[in-house]
Amino acid sequence: MAALRVERLEHGGFFKYALLLPAVIWVFAFTFLPLISVIRFSFSSYVMGEGITGFVGFDNYVDVLTSGQFWQSIFVTVVYVIFAVPIELVLGFLAAWLVNLGAPGSRTFRTIIGSPLFTLEVAIGYLGVTFFTDQGGLIAVPLAALGIHVPWMSTAFGGIAGAILLDIWRWTSFIFIIVLAGLSGISSELYDAAVLDAKNHWQVMWHLAVPLAWPVTTIAVLLRTVECLKTFAIPFALTSGGPGTSTQTFSAMDYLTTIQFFDFGKGSAMGIVYLILVSVVIATFFQQMRRRLT
Amino acid sequence: MITILWTRAGFWSRFLVYVLLVAAAVFTIVPFLWAAINSVKTLRETFQIGAFIPFLQFEPTLDSWREVLADPQTSTAFLNSCVISAGTTIFALILGVPAAYSLARYEFPIGSSDITLWFLSQRVLPPAVVLIPFYLLLVYLHLIDTWTGLILCYSTFNLAFVVVIMRDIFRDVSTEIEDAAKVEGATPWQIFWMIALPLSLDGLVVSSVLVFAFTWNEALFASALTSQAATPFSALVLASRSTRGVDFNTAAVNTLIGIVPPVIFYLFVQRYLARGLSFGAVKG
Repeated sequence: MAALRVERLEHGGFFKYALLLPAVIWVFAFTFLPLISVIRFSFSSYVMGEGITGFVGFDNYVDVLTSGQFWQSIFVTVVYVIFAVPIELVLGFLAAWLVNLGAPGSRTFRTIIGSPLFTLEVAIGYLGVTFFTDQGGLIAVPLAALGIHVPWMSTAFGGIAGAILLDIWRWTSFIFIIVLAGLSGISSELYDAAVLDAKNHWQVMWHLAVPLAWPVTTIAVLLRTVECLKTFAIPFALTSGGPGTSTQTFSAMDYLTTIQFFDFGKGSAMGIVYLILVSVVIATFFQQMRRRLT
Repeated sequence: MITILWTRAGFWSRFLVYVLLVAAAVFTIVPFLWAAINSVKTLRETFQIGAFIPFLQFEPTLDSWREVLADPQTSTAFLNSCVISAGTTIFALILGVPAAYSLARYEFPIGSSDITLWFLSQRVLPPAVVLIPFYLLLVYLHLIDTWTGLILCYSTFNLAFVVVIMRDIFRDVSTEIEDAAKVEGATPWQIFWMIALPLSLDGLVVSSVLVFAFTWNEALFASALTSQAATPFSALVLASRSTRGVDFNTAAVNTLIGIVPPVIFYLFVQRYLARGLSFGAVKG
């Protein structure tokens, strides 16, 4: 709704900084200063209890970049995001559109469809195991009865597919809630006018609602993508990375390297490499966002 | 609110809308039902084909419920999660809302959208990049395994959401009333506190619900930065694997009880929503 906004920014003087600075200082102190120490770690060998024991140049980076496990986790994460986010966007948008029509009972549907947002991903991951097992699994057994045998829990493909399904269930609600907010902000006069011009409802949705709700939708997709790139709980709880490490997302692997094995040097290098890779993707996205925000 | 699209729709269009809505609702509800069924099964029945209907196909038992609810760890973790999520929500709003207002109303030398994106860029950092320094920082401050430590950590992460969402909301609030107040001699602070904030109530509700739900759900930092005393529920559930192997029946109970506090919080703040969750519903 950027077009409808009347922008009258003011100078503000001291007041604007008094409001803004606490947050800026906070984020700077707790994110950007730590980032510096992470860069330092990434060039050192770190032993728990002793701290940095020496500087090793690019050794950690070479380790990471030549590690098959690292690239595999990147691949798993990318596949996960590429399937999960677009499906969540389409389903979430459609659901929001339908609920926003205002049919009697819409409030109930809104509450139900939004509810997965309040579940624990970890618990959903564990629950997922009982969906996909061939021993009485809620999804696996009916599919098997139809002759479709998906090796959910025994292969990397099945494990990732299962995790993506759970992710879609859990996170479509997020897109749904935000898009619904955007749609309900569209004034009813605009609909009145559009209905007169359009041949069918599909046209109203496509030519009125989609463009008007697009800014909010972009925010939802961006937030979702950023979070999805860090996915940890659902796949980790569902497959615990297995078989082997074939379904380990980047976050899961980095977590294990850092916290379980206390290899801060390698864990930091990994994080920095990933940050650089992700930044390229997100920067493109941010370029779009910038146009929307200004 | 019934839209004109609905009032003008024919029978079959309406029918189709309901079919799709019901399908979406069923898709959403089935896992909850499945969790409910699993929670009254024994582990053996969980992995048995054709055990769907309680009483008819298997004998339900409340053992898993008793086990979870009687475990003192559960109630401690629940309390921890509630305090941490509520604390984070309050703190993130206190820091983020004024910043968002400032970015929505005033001009900055570097452009307020760039500053907003700078806040958001912080979320792009992979967890481990932030995890190591946070871990060391909390060790240094003696805040490992405390409420304060986790609230500190989560406030930082959720600040970005608050700033992005609330800036959007404030920009949609008409500035006419604020201008009128200014003519009457109100100070900028009074305008922010007594006019802009009350008009953005639904934005505050949306932000707080999201921050609460995100904090409630977070498990990675929770397990790394706590060991026992301050362990939130999410971390307790995650750890249930390593301690006893996954007990799928207690996992089902956890799924069900884990949703309760955020939903209560949601229902509680929902009363303050004028017209449902809506960004920019208060346009002038």
